[in-house]
Amino acid sequence: MLVLGGIIFLHVSTIILLLVATIDNAWWVTDTVSTDLWGTWELKSSEWRYSNLKTSPNEFHQSVQASAVLACIFSILALFVFVAQLFTLPKGQRFTFTGILQLISCLCVMIAASVYTAELHAGDNGSYGHAYILAWISFVLTFLLALTYLILRKKSE
Amino acid sequence: MLAVLVSIVSLGIVAQQCQAIVIYTGWERHALVGSDIRLSCSFFSWRWTSEDVTFSWTYRPDGSRDSISIFHYTGGEAYLDNKGPFKDRLEFVGNPGRRDGSILIKNLDFNDNGTFTCDAKNPPDIVGRPSSVRLLVFEKVPIQAGVITGAIIGVVLGLLVLVVVIYYLMRFLVARRVFSLNVSKHGKKKKEGSQQRQLWTPPPLTCYPLP
Repeated sequence: MLVLGGIIFLHVSTIILLLVATIDNAWWVTDTVSTDLWGTWELKSSEWRYSNLKTSPNEFHQSVQASAVLACIFSILALFVFVAQLFTLPKGQRFTFTGILQLISCLCVMIAASVYTAELHAGDNGSYGHAYILAWISFVLTFLLALTYLILRKKSE
Repeated sequence: MLAVLVSIVSLGIVAQQCQAIVIYTGWERHALVGSDIRLSCSFFSWRWTSEDVTFSWTYRPDGSRDSISIFHYTGGEAYLDNKGPFKDRLEFVGNPGRRDGSILIKNLDFNDNGTFTCDAKNPPDIVGRPSSVRLLVFEKVPIQAGVITGAIIGVVLGLLVLVVVIYYLMRFLVARRVFSLNVSKHGKKKKEGSQQRQLWTPPPLTCYPLP
């Protein structure tokens, strides 16, 4: 029972981290700018203003957007499938479907973060923001969760 | 009494509607440098198209507050800009008889960014609001923000749905094939003899549970 609660809690918090990483515009920050994935916050005369991305998002940017969104979708799907499998899986079997979905989500986060690192802001001054860090953390968490689901077996009383 | 009041009010409203002319242009137009663009303008009016119908286009550059007149059609004649920024670049391609007052601007340049306003009058229907279309001139057509994003998401989710559907279809088909195999085995064993029939019992029909 405790194990079940712990896994569900971990899964839900992973989903939350993924959502924050995707929605919050803070993948790249400087002193006055906080940007990506969807828009740019600029500090103009001590006031933060929101504007669209400069140079309307190029292909790499859009693929990062797509990967991040897909990672969230697959992780949420995995949670629902896990709950469904809790009731319908025969005893002693592994949660493979859930594990696969979570693994795909992990892959998507990895693709998003890697493409972002490699292609965008390669030479700019500044640093990666908290959303970027959360993306990598959720990559680790989704990977661990995927392994858990693939190894875990349903209790056969 | 009430009926009279209602009829007077409704007549007033209807009469108002009958008199207003509605002008349609686009909202925004995108074009490449050096290309031609057709700015369309048409109107709706409750009256028949009169012979004195007029169309006029004015242009206000981006960032400027003044607008200049670049085109006027009246009394069956089209008058094009012959002094301003659109000299020798305008052409009238509309059909006033069909309420179309469109113009063609050739060889676009970055200086042509701005707002074009079309005003049409169909006497006696002259009360109306001019309509504006914004022209944006690009060096190359930009990828709209979100097209690739949406495409990737759509394709991946579609693939997922396809894979799941195919998986369940295969399981369903395999289950049915196993069922038919068991039946044929049962039939064959019956012919071979009663001894073997007692040794062999038909396998229980297992319906595969849904994961």
